[in-house]
Amino acid sequence: MNMTTALARLLIFPGILFAVPAAWFFLWVERKAVALMQGRIGPPFMQPFYDFVKLLGKDTPPRSGIAGGLMRAWPLIAVSTAAGAVGLLPVLPASGGFQGDLILLLALLEVPSICIIAAGFSSRSLFGEIGSAREAVLSVSYNVVFLLAIVSVAASQHTFRLEALAQMPPSPLLWLGILAILICLPAKLHLNPFSLPNAEQEIYSGPMVEFAGPELAMWELSHGLEWVAATGLVATLIAPHITLWWAAAIVFVALSFGIVLLLSAIAAATARLAIDTTVRFYWQCTLIFAVLAVSSALFMRLRS
Amino acid sequence: MNILTMLWKNLWGGSRTLRFPLRPKVTQRYRGLVQFDPELCTGCAICKFRCTSRAITYQAGKGEFTWSYDPGQCTFCGRCVEGCKAHALSQESACPPIYLHSGELKKTYTVARRAPAPKTAPAVPKAAATPASPKLAETPATGGTQ
Amino acid sequence: MKLWNRLMCYCRRRSPWIFHLNSGSCNGCDIEIVAGLTPRYDAEQLGVRLEGSPRHADILCVTGPITKNAVRAIKTVYGQVCGPKAVVAIGSCPATTNVFIDSRTLDGPLNKHIPVDVFVPGCPPRPDAIIQGIAKAAEILAERGKQQPAAAKAEPVAIEVQP
Repeated sequence: MNMTTALARLLIFPGILFAVPAAWFFLWVERKAVALMQGRIGPPFMQPFYDFVKLLGKDTPPRSGIAGGLMRAWPLIAVSTAAGAVGLLPVLPASGGFQGDLILLLALLEVPSICIIAAGFSSRSLFGEIGSAREAVLSVSYNVVFLLAIVSVAASQHTFRLEALAQMPPSPLLWLGILAILICLPAKLHLNPFSLPNAEQEIYSGPMVEFAGPELAMWELSHGLEWVAATGLVATLIAPHITLWWAAAIVFVALSFGIVLLLSAIAAATARLAIDTTVRFYWQCTLIFAVLAVSSALFMRLRS
Repeated sequence: MNILTMLWKNLWGGSRTLRFPLRPKVTQRYRGLVQFDPELCTGCAICKFRCTSRAITYQAGKGEFTWSYDPGQCTFCGRCVEGCKAHALSQESACPPIYLHSGELKKTYTVARRAPAPKTAPAVPKAAATPASPKLAETPATGGTQ
Repeated sequence: MKLWNRLMCYCRRRSPWIFHLNSGSCNGCDIEIVAGLTPRYDAEQLGVRLEGSPRHADILCVTGPITKNAVRAIKTVYGQVCGPKAVVAIGSCPATTNVFIDSRTLDGPLNKHIPVDVFVPGCPPRPDAIIQGIAKAAEILAERGKQQPAAAKAEPVAIEVQP
């Protein structure tokens, strides 16, 4: 694809111009859905936007040295990689792409978690270190299932191009892979029951404990962009192949919305699990999905 | 599965939330701010003695006294209301208001002392009352403050 | 810049994030603060979020008469809340030490140590009164931002203790 298409995808749709309002929208949908399911009315519609602007106007505590510079840099890296991940999603048909852009998408999806871990350690706070250690353990646990599932779906099609994966015909392997990814999404997005890293009352917001003001605004924005990227990935895998570009965009947004509602229902229905139960869940119960996906991919490859 | 049915009912059953700035009604027995009636007060200062948090202060002067009450210091226990023999104190059944400056809600009253009401001589002599008159006609006293 | 300032003040009123600090309270007021987040009163309809770290919050909600042990902690946490900030004294205890007046272990009302913006009387105050207090504090933050657009951020921090 040429430069203008690439720039349009990165900046307009599904890039920054779409992703940032969509991030705020999905954050609101999650809070409102959880509130309605708990019998309350939730925040008003523009609430994540108000939070973002308010945080931009607050002071930051004085920071010095390399740790201070790093603390200012991690949220920016998280936002830019999450926005890049959203920009890579194959929403529109015939949107181009290149060999191996699945690998790039997975790498870009991983960087925000790594930024959170690094930020907790560079904040030099005890609570930050505890939160980062928990986030690291959680990341290792769910990533095994996540990556195995998606790589096996890709390997069965003999390709790493996202567009080919988006257009592949539905098969039991695809549904198995999507189920495995959906089980990993609450951990990736810090939702109940796997919301341990930023436990508010237990470890004083974990890795985020020392961040304030515009840095915190960037962290919230990167969290919203992670929502869009992760739900968008599952939506593009589920969506059937549609040739009209506006119909494809609408179906993408509708499917992402549905996945957000599903994740909110899971978040409202469960409580936070402790770290040992979480790790046990991912290594004992869900690893079977990943093993099934890999073995069926190998089986299909050997047959074809 | 119980939790899922609960969530479903909450989602479609509507919320029980009070929309700000609506507030729930308090009951008649709610102990709110202490109301003072200068007409009934006799200046005995039992309320100041009984007050647990020194919200009530009393200053005696020549021919008058000063009574003041600070809701910020008050703990709304109701001991002053219970102890007032002249029933000059009552508690309104409403929530105390928020305020912005310390001591803003303090109220001070200066009450002039009054002579007590003169006792009038009984018009009819009470010799007709027999000691053995049954007291069944008297209704039992209604319970006062609990 | 004027438009940005007006937007900022509007958003400050609509998004009050609170941090709750207990300085020797009997926990009655703390329970009522948490009751303000339950479905019946639902502080989240105003955008209120109970935050885990003082650095994230705008409004510091203090309960309890200020014990001598807690004074240093209160000053530290007040320094850690990033400006612009407001303080709400919840209950009669931080306003005037209530029934614990003359106690040996206390060190005065809250406004002896940090500036207090809103007092919510009651023992304990009702959750709707607490939510009214928080909304008033959010309005105060917005008003302060409107009056001094540049100076609202340059707050003198009396005690800067290491985090």
